[in-house]
Amino acid sequence: MLPMPGPGAVARARPRASRDRWWGLAAVAPALLIAGLVVVGGIGMSVAQSVGLVPLVGEAAFTLDAYLANGDELLTGLGLSLAIATASTVLSCVIGLTAAIIITQGRSTGRLVAALSALTIPVPHLVGAASVGLLIADSGLIPRVLGIAPTAWPDLVGGPWWVAVVLEYTWKESAFVALVVAGVLATRVARYDETAALLGASRARRLWHVVIPLAKPAVIVSAVIIFVYTLGSYEVAWLLGRPYPEPLPVLAFRLFNSITLTSRPEAAAVAVVTTLVSLIAVAIGMALLRRTPLWK
Amino acid sequence: MAMMIPYGQRITPDTRETRSRGLMRPRPLGRVVRVVLASLLALWFALPLVPLLVWSVANRWSFPAVLPTEWGLDGLMTALEQGAAPAFGRSIVLALAVAAIATPLGALAARALTLGRVPAPRLVSGILLAPLALPAFVAVMGLTIVLLRARVPAALAVLLLLVAAALPYTVYTMRVAYAAHDLAFEEEARTLGASRWHVLWRVHLPLVAPGLARAAFLAFLVGWSDYVVTVLVGGGTLVTLPLLVGSYAAGVGNDAIVAVLSLSAIIPPLLLLLALGRFGRRYPAARFAGPTPSRSPKGSP
Repeated sequence: MLPMPGPGAVARARPRASRDRWWGLAAVAPALLIAGLVVVGGIGMSVAQSVGLVPLVGEAAFTLDAYLANGDELLTGLGLSLAIATASTVLSCVIGLTAAIIITQGRSTGRLVAALSALTIPVPHLVGAASVGLLIADSGLIPRVLGIAPTAWPDLVGGPWWVAVVLEYTWKESAFVALVVAGVLATRVARYDETAALLGASRARRLWHVVIPLAKPAVIVSAVIIFVYTLGSYEVAWLLGRPYPEPLPVLAFRLFNSITLTSRPEAAAVAVVTTLVSLIAVAIGMALLRRTPLWK
Repeated sequence: MAMMIPYGQRITPDTRETRSRGLMRPRPLGRVVRVVLASLLALWFALPLVPLLVWSVANRWSFPAVLPTEWGLDGLMTALEQGAAPAFGRSIVLALAVAAIATPLGALAARALTLGRVPAPRLVSGILLAPLALPAFVAVMGLTIVLLRARVPAALAVLLLLVAAALPYTVYTMRVAYAAHDLAFEEEARTLGASRWHVLWRVHLPLVAPGLARAAFLAFLVGWSDYVVTVLVGGGTLVTLPLLVGSYAAGVGNDAIVAVLSLSAIIPPLLLLLALGRFGRRYPAARFAGPTPSRSPKGSP
C-alpha cells in the first residue's frame, strides 16, 4: 500500500510492514492532529485575520492596513522584543553553562547548585516575575537590606532598561540551560574530559577544547527555545515592564482586548510579525546546529 | 586511572615533580574560584524566592525595615477569602487533565516514531515539536475566532491549546525513553505466551514508567503555570491560580497575598519534582547529572 518501507519495517517480516505502517500512523494521528491544528491553524488564521480575510463584521477583503496602522509601535516593539530576548538568551546561556560545569564536577558545591537550580524549574514565570518584583523594586528586599532610599534606588522595575524583565527571564532560563547542559555533560562529556586530562591537557584547554564544544549543541537548542519563549512571552513584560514602549506580545494583547473593531486584525498583524521572527530564530539555530561537528 | 601501575613501580608523588603533572597539581586558586562561583550561583538561584517566604508571613512590612514589622497570616486569610482555594483546585484539575491527555498521546507518537513505523517521520516530528517554536499568544489569537464560532466551551478550548503546548515535551521525553527501551523484553513475553494487554501492563509500561512520569510532570507544569492561554481564551471565566497571582501582582500593596498565592503555586510542582526524583532513581540509565563514579575528584594514585 505505502511504497516506502521505513527503517524499522525492513527488519520485520514483509507482510507485516504495511500493517505496522497503519498502526504507526494511527498512533501518531491524535498528537499530530492536535499539534497540527494549533500550529497550522493558529498561524494560518492569524495571517488570514491580519490581511482582513476574517473580519468580525462586514465583507472580507484583502488589505495590509493592519500592518500599517501601528507601523511605528510595531517597529519599536520589534526592536524592544529582540533586545530583551537577545539579552536574556545570552545571559541565561552564560550563567547556565557555568552552572552546568560546576554541577558536573560532582562535589558538594555542585550538588548545592544542582539542587537550587532544580528548585527554580517548577516556578511559573508569573510567580518568578512577582518575586523578582518583591526583590528588586524600589521598596524590595535588596534596597531594604542595603539601606538605600527608594529615591536613590535605580528604576529596575518599570525602568527604561527593562532590567527586572531580563533578570526574571535570565533567572528562570539559566536554570533550564543548567538542567539541559548538565544532563549532556554528565552522560557524554565526562569520559572525553578524563581522556584529555590523562593526555596532559590543562584545565583551561579542556574547558575550551573539550567541554564547551561538546556542550555546544545542547546550548544552541536551549538558546533557541529561550529566545522564542522570551520573544513571545507576555506576563513578565506586562508585570515588570513599563507602559510604553511595549514589547510585541504586550502590544498584541492590548490591541486584542481593545474594543475597536479594527484592532483584532492589528493584533493578528503583531502576532504574525512575532511568528516570523521566531521562525527566523529557529532557522538560524538549526543552521548553527548543523555546523557543529556533533550533529547527526 | 593510575591503578594500572603495578605496586612495585609506584612512585610517591614528589612535590617538585607533581607540579608539572596536569592531574596532580594542587590548585588553591582553582578551588577558590570554584567555591566562589558556586556560592554566587547558589545565591542567584535561591535569592528571588526569599522575599516570597518572608512576605507570606508578614502582616506589615513598612519600608526601611529589613524584617517585617508585624508577623502574621493575614495574607493567607485574605487569599483564602478571595477564592484562592477554588482557584487552586481548578489549576490542579487543569494541569492534571493536560498531563492525562498529553502524556499518552506523546507516548504513542514517540513509540511509533522510534520504531520507524511512521511515514514522513521528519515532517511528523517537526509538526509535533512546532508548538515550541510558536509563541502561545499567536496560536490563541488565531484560533479564538474559530473556536468561538464552533461553540467550543472555553475550558475545553484552553485544554486543547495547552495539550498542544505540552506535546513537544511529552513526545521528546518519550522518544528519549523509547530510544533506551529494549523491545526484546516485550517479544520475549509474547513468546512465553503473554497476551498483548498483559505485555502492555506487565512489561511495556513498567519499563517506560520513569519516562512517563517525567513526561507527565512536564505536561503538568505546562498546564499549571499557564497564564496567557487561560486569560485570552477563558476570558476571565476560568480563574486559575496564575490568574489570581497576576491580578494581585498587578495591583499595589498586595505583597503578602501575592507571596502566599505564589508559594501555593510553587509547592505542588515542587512536591511532584521531589517525588519524581525518588521515582526516577529506579531507572539508572538516564539519571540526571549525578556525580559520575569514574571521576575521582582527588586524582589519588
